[in-house]
Amino acid sequence: MSRLSFRPRPLDIHKKLPIVKSIKDFEDDDAPATAASTRNSQLLRLAADADNEQVHQTPGKKSSQEIPTPQFSVVATYERDYARTFAQPTSYLRARGARAEIGEFVEYDLDDEDEDWLEEFNKERKTLTPEKFETLLFKLEVLDHKIREKAGVITPTFVSPIPVLLKLDAAAEALQSLFVRFAVFQSVYNYWKGKRERWQKPILRCLQPPPPVNDTNPYNVFRPREKAHRLHTRRIQRRENNVQSFEKLRQVRRNLDQVKTVLEALIKREEKKREVMECEINLQRIQLKYKHEAQLVEDRSALPGFIPAPCKFGSREDDLMDSDDATNGRPHAWPTAVHLQSIDYKMAMVPAGRMRQDLKRAPLRNGWLRKMDPNEPVLLFARGVDPDKLAAAGIVRPPDPSIENGSVAPPYRFHGRIGRGGRIIFDRWNPLLRAPLGHESSAYVLPSPLPPPNG
Amino acid sequence: MARTPRSAAIRTRTGVQPLRFSSTVQMGSIEGAKAENGVAAPACNGGDQRNGGGGAAVRDSEAEAGRKGKAGAGVALPLEVGTRVMCRWRDQKLHPVKVIERRKIPNAGPNDYEYYVHYTEFNRRLDEWVKLEQLDLDTVETDIDEKVEDKATSLKMTRHQKRKIDETHVEKGHEELDAASLREHEEFTKVKNIAKIELGRYEIDTWYFSPFPPEYNDSSKLYFCEFCLNFMKRKEQLQRHMRKCDLKHPPGDEIYRSGTLSMFEVDGKKNKVYGQNLCYLAKLFLDHKTLYYDVDLFLFYVLCECDDRGCHMVGYFSKEKHSEESYNLACILTLPPYQRKGYGKFLIAFSYELSKKEGKVGTPERPLSDLGLLSYRGYWTRVLLDILKKHKSNISIKELSDMTAIKADDILSTLQSLDLIQYRKGQHVICADPKVLDRHLKAAGRGGLEVDVSKLIWTPYKEQG
Repeated sequence: MSRLSFRPRPLDIHKKLPIVKSIKDFEDDDAPATAASTRNSQLLRLAADADNEQVHQTPGKKSSQEIPTPQFSVVATYERDYARTFAQPTSYLRARGARAEIGEFVEYDLDDEDEDWLEEFNKERKTLTPEKFETLLFKLEVLDHKIREKAGVITPTFVSPIPVLLKLDAAAEALQSLFVRFAVFQSVYNYWKGKRERWQKPILRCLQPPPPVNDTNPYNVFRPREKAHRLHTRRIQRRENNVQSFEKLRQVRRNLDQVKTVLEALIKREEKKREVMECEINLQRIQLKYKHEAQLVEDRSALPGFIPAPCKFGSREDDLMDSDDATNGRPHAWPTAVHLQSIDYKMAMVPAGRMRQDLKRAPLRNGWLRKMDPNEPVLLFARGVDPDKLAAAGIVRPPDPSIENGSVAPPYRFHGRIGRGGRIIFDRWNPLLRAPLGHESSAYVLPSPLPPPNG
Repeated sequence: MARTPRSAAIRTRTGVQPLRFSSTVQMGSIEGAKAENGVAAPACNGGDQRNGGGGAAVRDSEAEAGRKGKAGAGVALPLEVGTRVMCRWRDQKLHPVKVIERRKIPNAGPNDYEYYVHYTEFNRRLDEWVKLEQLDLDTVETDIDEKVEDKATSLKMTRHQKRKIDETHVEKGHEELDAASLREHEEFTKVKNIAKIELGRYEIDTWYFSPFPPEYNDSSKLYFCEFCLNFMKRKEQLQRHMRKCDLKHPPGDEIYRSGTLSMFEVDGKKNKVYGQNLCYLAKLFLDHKTLYYDVDLFLFYVLCECDDRGCHMVGYFSKEKHSEESYNLACILTLPPYQRKGYGKFLIAFSYELSKKEGKVGTPERPLSDLGLLSYRGYWTRVLLDILKKHKSNISIKELSDMTAIKADDILSTLQSLDLIQYRKGQHVICADPKVLDRHLKAAGRGGLEVDVSKLIWTPYKEQG
């Protein structure tokens, strides 16, 4: 609906965000003209809706109850099928070993086919119980698996039909302890073998191999996942101790030595740079001091009633030295000889540590009129322009346009100042608004040639 | 809007998948419910695509003449796949359906068929086999001219428009799946193979297809042992199994107990068959779950209600042992008889409690189903807004994430979707007006069952050896 006219900067999840407890704060604290206010009104509406949400709630609730899902019912025989034999211990239950490890549990459950065959088999007289049959099939599966394991024909995945390797005699011998008559056992064995050959895979699910990794048949499930080999290359390399790794280490040493040389050179260079910088700062300080004290001399002469405190002025020779230059108002015009002399003088006078301290303090001070500290530097561009000096230098102020056409707009005075590097700067003028540029916040009004009607 | 998300269907995808389970419209969603109330067209569920050009052939001159005309009493039997007709549903009312499949009734006349129908108003989970008597033959419409119609519309439409329609067609809930794989999935899973299961106390109608081993393809009902989850085709087999089954609870460690509620952690590697059984079972109720990969890289957290018969599973979630993408949950299901009781919310909250214990942030595996996203949005909203309500000083998203174990992206998307992050005066602020928060909290629904952290006895999984 309403979009911000600008793209908000991406949210930094590490940044602490203010929590605004009332939406009304949004409305009050900002100009109403911003595009975002529409979003806020939306929020306000939300808050208002909170009161009469009853209206919104009802249809939603109704529909959620109407979502139909397939049904379920209670099994009548449940109470009989499942015995009430479970007693929860007071401590949390722990897992036992998996069933296969215990070995006693008959994991195989007869399927329809088995049951049908057994029914047929027991038709004349009951010779085999389902439980016994289940056990036999289970043991046959396990025995066959062991034999295939020994023969080394177990494949990790299901790629080709799995043959039966267990022979009748071997099976009968191994399962003697089950006390099954050989005739019965033979029938079961034959039935099992037939079933295995039809299935072409073990009938016990836990013995069935998974489908191969590259099998795409969607009916086949539970593929093994390719193991992602994490390469421990670094550890392996470190352990090797041969000529190759020796050479490699020598190369590393050479590289490090070179890096060391480069870094040392870098440190030297940076030290030199710092020295140069300090020299320049010194130079500028001295220049500023000259300029500043010359100005004071001038001020005193302009205001005859003003008597400077002795600590401020007149105690230094250098102040007097350039006083005649100061009237010029243009630092560049200083004689070179005086220039150099003053630098030498300052260098001798001011220790470097103190100078730095002064510079650090400087930005904190904005009241340039309080020139209590004679060491405090005055930056040229912060000083206003003296019209008299301008005139003396042959610079003419541009005419004031408001005076020219005699409009009702308040007369505007040019604020000239000295910019960095000694340029003289006048703020620019917008002829339509009759205001200096940079003050556009006031409404745009065309200057009317007619006087406003009375009334 | 009342949101009582049943956390039934959050799919998982654990890798590359030639096997893709997905469906058309998740009508079970709240959005679906809205549409059901008469706003949007109900039948944008791929019925056309499912059978496009398949079995719909021109049968007689009568149908040929009247395009989609009523065939009346003279309708030819058996009905063709793709036929649209009204069908008597369990509410005894007639609902529009589309015939998806048909099969002969064994030991009956040559023209005696039963039909697998899709109720066009509802989610695919309600598709079922019906007898001819349930169909109102006076309302039969054959989709014989489907192809022609498609051609006509495609001529009128620009390619862009067509694509747009194709996109919107598959969109709901399956944004991450492309149309082709979706159709492949639908073709493969269009008919539920198992119609009902018996699990413990309940006989439950299934929702979706599940790729059981081929030996089980011929049975429409399976009997699950409610403890080891082995499945059988006959009741007697289950009863015999119950006499020998020695399990009374999931085969893992109990890591939480509060009242009758217990949570068990089962290692898919140590209990492979159990894990696989659980996946087969879960797939019956999750459209977007894949069984493509084996279970040994997963841990299963099985929630149980316990009584003197044992610990009865009400739902579960699975979790990768090592997730590169900081997933703390792969798949989540509340079994239908236990839905709408707050168990799903409990499972989500539990997954975050585990992440807190691990000292990690977590997020559910994507894509989320519509139902899944809804449940999660509700959880995130409740947790985050409860903090914002109490919190006085400034707070960063990272701090919220550390407090809740919710991934920073999820926090951002939740707060942004609720319009609570505003950009003011060149910086982001969180709007926490109590009125607005309460409104959102109300919409997010109840919190469900609480996880009592003091009762969680658990150490993060460590590889053995």
